[in-house]
Amino acid sequence: MAKVFIYPATSLILSDLVARFGHKPLGAALGIRERIQTAGVDSPPLQITPEDPKRGLKYAAVEVPSGVRGRMAIYGPLIEEAEAAIIVTDADLAFGCMGCARTDELILFSLRQKDMPILELKYPTTDEEGIEFVAAVRKFLTSLPKGGES
Amino acid sequence: MADYTPDYVGTVTKYVFVESPTMTAGELALRAYEASEGVLIKETCFGLQVTGEPEAVEKLIEEIRTFDPVHIFVKDRGFPPGDPRRCRANLGGARPGYLGHEREFRVLRYITRGLEELDRRGEEPEEPEKPAVPPARGKRPLLDIKRLQELIETEES
Amino acid sequence: MSRKVRIAQLSCGPEYSGIQKEIYDAAESVDAEVFFPDIALADVERAVDAFGLDVRSADLKLMIARGKALVDGKVDADGVFIGTCFRCAEAAIVRNELRRYIHEHSRLPVVSYSFTERTTAGTLLTRMEALTTIARRRALLAREEQTGITMGVDSGSSTTKAVVMKENKIVGTGWLPTTEVIASADGAVAQALEMAGLTRDDIQAIGTTGYGRFLIGKHLGADLVQEELTVNSKGAVYLAGHQRGAATVIDIGGMDNKAISVIDGIPGTFTMGGICAGASGRFLEMTAKRLGVDITELGPLAMKGMGANVPMNSYCIVFGTQSLVNALAAGSSREDVAAAACHSVAEQVFEQQLQEVDIKEPVIMVGGTSLIEGLVYAMGRLLQTEIVVPPYSQYIGAVGSALLASGFIKGE
Repeated sequence: MAKVFIYPATSLILSDLVARFGHKPLGAALGIRERIQTAGVDSPPLQITPEDPKRGLKYAAVEVPSGVRGRMAIYGPLIEEAEAAIIVTDADLAFGCMGCARTDELILFSLRQKDMPILELKYPTTDEEGIEFVAAVRKFLTSLPKGGES
Repeated sequence: MADYTPDYVGTVTKYVFVESPTMTAGELALRAYEASEGVLIKETCFGLQVTGEPEAVEKLIEEIRTFDPVHIFVKDRGFPPGDPRRCRANLGGARPGYLGHEREFRVLRYITRGLEELDRRGEEPEEPEKPAVPPARGKRPLLDIKRLQELIETEES
Repeated sequence: MSRKVRIAQLSCGPEYSGIQKEIYDAAESVDAEVFFPDIALADVERAVDAFGLDVRSADLKLMIARGKALVDGKVDADGVFIGTCFRCAEAAIVRNELRRYIHEHSRLPVVSYSFTERTTAGTLLTRMEALTTIARRRALLAREEQTGITMGVDSGSSTTKAVVMKENKIVGTGWLPTTEVIASADGAVAQALEMAGLTRDDIQAIGTTGYGRFLIGKHLGADLVQEELTVNSKGAVYLAGHQRGAATVIDIGGMDNKAISVIDGIPGTFTMGGICAGASGRFLEMTAKRLGVDITELGPLAMKGMGANVPMNSYCIVFGTQSLVNALAAGSSREDVAAAACHSVAEQVFEQQLQEVDIKEPVIMVGGTSLIEGLVYAMGRLLQTEIVVPPYSQYIGAVGSALLASGFIKGE
């Protein structure tokens, strides 16, 4: 089973397909779950504390806005952990955890910098594109180490 | 600064979305309850949220997927169900993630179509004639002709 | 108990900066609740299209859509808090344009703020308090005349001011540097009472404002304890004799600066800044000290100099002081250095705060720094307008408090 970073990291479709075809999707929920389940300073809603933007300094310099660094504190470790990635390039309406374009640019760059298999595609808008989309994702996922049908 | 003590430590929560002409969220919930074996299930307008030990949730999800494989979609959730920090009533409106789901709901039927087609083709994927990546936007027709036919037939029946 | 004031939050980034709880806490401490206007995805697409600002970040699109829902009356709110990450250019454009849009198309009071991970509830408190006051106390803020005998005390970060008013006239004033908060207030009050020839028993109502407002409010048994944004707006238009229509109030304080767009004496949009002390009265105090003059002499000294002769950009108080020391060492005249310091502070306020409100004439400068004529001159040059400095402008908070306090006289 390979760890596959999904972009947008909040994607239902990618999360589902990666798990459906036998791999582990790495998305925003994992980073948020870790924070929600860790005791510490109360910081609703996401349990992201002011310490997170400071941890984010590992990925972005201090003059980068705090919201970018806080988000990178979630995604940075997941990107480091990732063994592959699937990227939807026209995910322009992904909010919240993916709601900042500057962070999204940095995530994409960080993924492309890694020496790992990456599949980039667009959201389907027709049945034919839907078939191509799913076929491409399945083909990509079965090519990954220890991949297989669920 | 107040201390924070988390609930549901060690559990996972997953969303189960059903987008099916034959199965409602209520029916999905009924069948999921039967198979739940102690996994917490919460019914929602779009399907379910299931919470429990990771292995138990995984097992239940596998079972749930068999109900209607091409119309059921699953994803992880960071929060446990009913968490006041993410509750619509407390926030005064939908959390941003919900709108992201709305965006993908529009696409789900094409994914369903893809899954059906791959099922038909069988285990070994055929080499696609065209490149795997869908073509760039702008070149596509405004409305898929098959889809138009489907719409006309639905209207007539 | 009154209904909670509902503040609509339009923001990008506070959750991920770890400061959303600070916003909640600030709102809660003034009995307000923060909420996120509910909209659907289709609303976002429509609103962004209609608004015409084509931004990349989805959360900024969401901000625009939520702002539009407020203006269109689809969602009810008493006030609007707009917040985005400090140093984000894309967000700054949205924050500014959205603030302007809401200000022009609705009667909702708006405060905008750019935060970092260091922003605390304490920093946000005054802004939230102003928002709730505008929503909750419109009737009180409509007051245009002082009645009876009242007193206002402004416990600021640098100085404490007290004013006694009687039948719409200022009859006593007191002024002391803020050292020990309560002792300074007592001293200023004693001065004001003595000048008025009155005693504490004659005072029918008391209002307090400034950083020490809660502490001295309790100490003096104040009837009104109010943040300085609304109080200073009210005081400024009252003293300037411009209670109706639009005006802009600028108050360069010891620790932070206020820029307020006022309509009929009530703040419409406002900012309160102070990320860098270089743009504060404190820097001018340091300049005066270094030049060996009293702060009251700095203004006239600056008027004799040419600021352009000395390079100075006091974004930071330390670097500003460095420029000042360097300039003197290089042989610049004290007059030129004084003028440069005034220009530098004015420029910082112009760049950091005045871009966040709509400048409408008259522009009224208040607070202790409004007496530094070199600073007023520099600000006037930057804004290309004649700045109004009303009489008693250094007592602005105390006057506003005394004026509003008269609404609490029994039988009123």
